[in-house]
Amino acid sequence: MSPIVALRPEQPADPVSVVQPKIAIRHLSVDYPSPDGLPVRVLQDVSLDVAPGEFVAVVGPSGCGKSTLLRVLSGLLDPASGTAAIDGRGVADASDRIGFMFQRDTLLPWASVEDNILIGAELGPRRVDRARLGELIAFLKLKGFEKHRPHELSGGMRQRVSLGRLLAYEPEIFLMDEPFGALDSQTKAAMGRELLRIWSAHQRAVLFVTHDIEEAVTLADRVIVLSARPGRIRLDVQVDLDRPRDPKTLRRDPRFLSLVERVWGALDLQADL
Amino acid sequence: MSAIIQSGQAGIGLAGLVGRRVRLGLIRDRILLFAVLVGGWEVLSHTVVDPLWISRPSLIAERLVALAASGELWRNTQRTLLEAVLGLALAFAVGVPLGIAMARYKYGHAVAEPFIMALHSLPRVALAPLFIIWFGIDLFSKVMMAFSTVLFIFMLNVHEGLKTIDRDLLDLLRTMRAPRLYVTRKVLLPWIVPWLIASLKIGVGLALIGAVVGELIGSSAGLGWYIEKSAGRLDTTGVFAGLVLLMGIAVAGNLVVARIERRFSSWRPS
Ligand SMILES: Nc1ncnc2c1ncn2[C@@H]1O[C@H](COP(=O)(O)OP(=O)(O)OP(=O)(O)O)[C@@H](O)[C@H]1O
Ligand SMILES: [Mg+2]
Repeated sequence: MSPIVALRPEQPADPVSVVQPKIAIRHLSVDYPSPDGLPVRVLQDVSLDVAPGEFVAVVGPSGCGKSTLLRVLSGLLDPASGTAAIDGRGVADASDRIGFMFQRDTLLPWASVEDNILIGAELGPRRVDRARLGELIAFLKLKGFEKHRPHELSGGMRQRVSLGRLLAYEPEIFLMDEPFGALDSQTKAAMGRELLRIWSAHQRAVLFVTHDIEEAVTLADRVIVLSARPGRIRLDVQVDLDRPRDPKTLRRDPRFLSLVERVWGALDLQADL
Repeated sequence: MSAIIQSGQAGIGLAGLVGRRVRLGLIRDRILLFAVLVGGWEVLSHTVVDPLWISRPSLIAERLVALAASGELWRNTQRTLLEAVLGLALAFAVGVPLGIAMARYKYGHAVAEPFIMALHSLPRVALAPLFIIWFGIDLFSKVMMAFSTVLFIFMLNVHEGLKTIDRDLLDLLRTMRAPRLYVTRKVLLPWIVPWLIASLKIGVGLALIGAVVGELIGSSAGLGWYIEKSAGRLDTTGVFAGLVLLMGIAVAGNLVVARIERRFSSWRPS
């Protein structure tokens, strides 16, 4: 990290935290090549710390670089400048299991629901036995579809299979790109509850991209709002609502409403630009 | 056609009955068409055209029986079949790894591409004389003929299949730190199965062409050799008997491929 500071002395000093952050993103900028040869800047000078066990939601207009941010953190994409580190080491050398749930479902088209979920177990820390696989499938409301192939499932079902594979992998860091985007609100709430349960039991850092502001405020400790491309951090707000949170009563909680309002405001701001 | 057959198998009640009836009707009409064609041929050879040119179905049948009795039928059929199958298998064994290498080593492929395409466009038939000089007049030169006709089919198809592979699938496994062997086993190989089947479909016919062309140019056994020998004596019945047997091999090969295809058709690239 020090070379970056040396490179950009005009930047204000990074916030000093007592605990070492799980994820440390410093002055991260990302370019994509464009057809005319000039690189297109997608993320601009993003700095963000995620503490161990912190649940951070990321919202922002379509195309602002949310998925790109997760790709950098998973080591799939190199930044143009700046650094991304996990436990103080570059993402490529991170020892933690990173569970990345892509925005698009990425299931093996020829494999059954079961076999797709088992991929996570085979690459994860421990084998999944029949009983646990059954539990997982029941929880995902996929009972009776164990032998089905992805093309025989609905979009929401495929998303749940991806979630099953992610959970079977038992990640130590969750990078989730609109994981519940294709689900009805009831299933969405159920999946959110389960995610929170796993998260609070194991204290895992979560980076959760969503377009649903209420979902972001309901689930997260912190909500980050990115600006339109090139994405910069426009708002970084702490969600100080007590846990466990009950979505039903939360809806009437004035603190919840004012937080939703603030996030909306930060998003709206850029609509005018 | 396959849709009709499938609905006949899958349907219940009335739909199933209709499907079955359609299927039986189809078989009946095909037999009818066959009878009309062969009958027409027979009549033609008795009336308008001298059987010296077109032989005659009854004569061909007689010849086939005689060939079967003398053991010559099996000897020649087996020979051609063996050449084609060995050539096909060899092309698979060499072509698939080459196709994978082409996809893997992009720069190497870019360097070699014009030469690959030049070889691919060369009419392989013209290689037969050379192959007979190199590999002799027996089995091996024909195997190499079949091999050289089919090789590129496997190579280019596997390469094409791997080029279209879903990058996100590979990326996902990369984030999960899957070992290379695991990725190959779980993604690469299943992904190219449809391309392999497509190659096999074309390859069966091409391997037969390669083997027979080799036999026509120079050989001591096989259906191509038998056809060539018969034609040399203006024995059209012998020529047609050879052609019937070749057709039999081709049809059997297609049936085998269709079986393989049905077994693996669970997945298709969209
Ligand atoms: N592989 C790529 N090559 C070139 N440009 C890309 C590539 N991937 C993304 N981009 C561009 O980068 C920008 C950010 O993309 P990204 O997928 O991160 O957006 P996002 O915030 O996730 O949007 P959404 O909410 O729609 O998913 C987009 O404008 C897109 O055009
Ligand atoms: Mg996205």
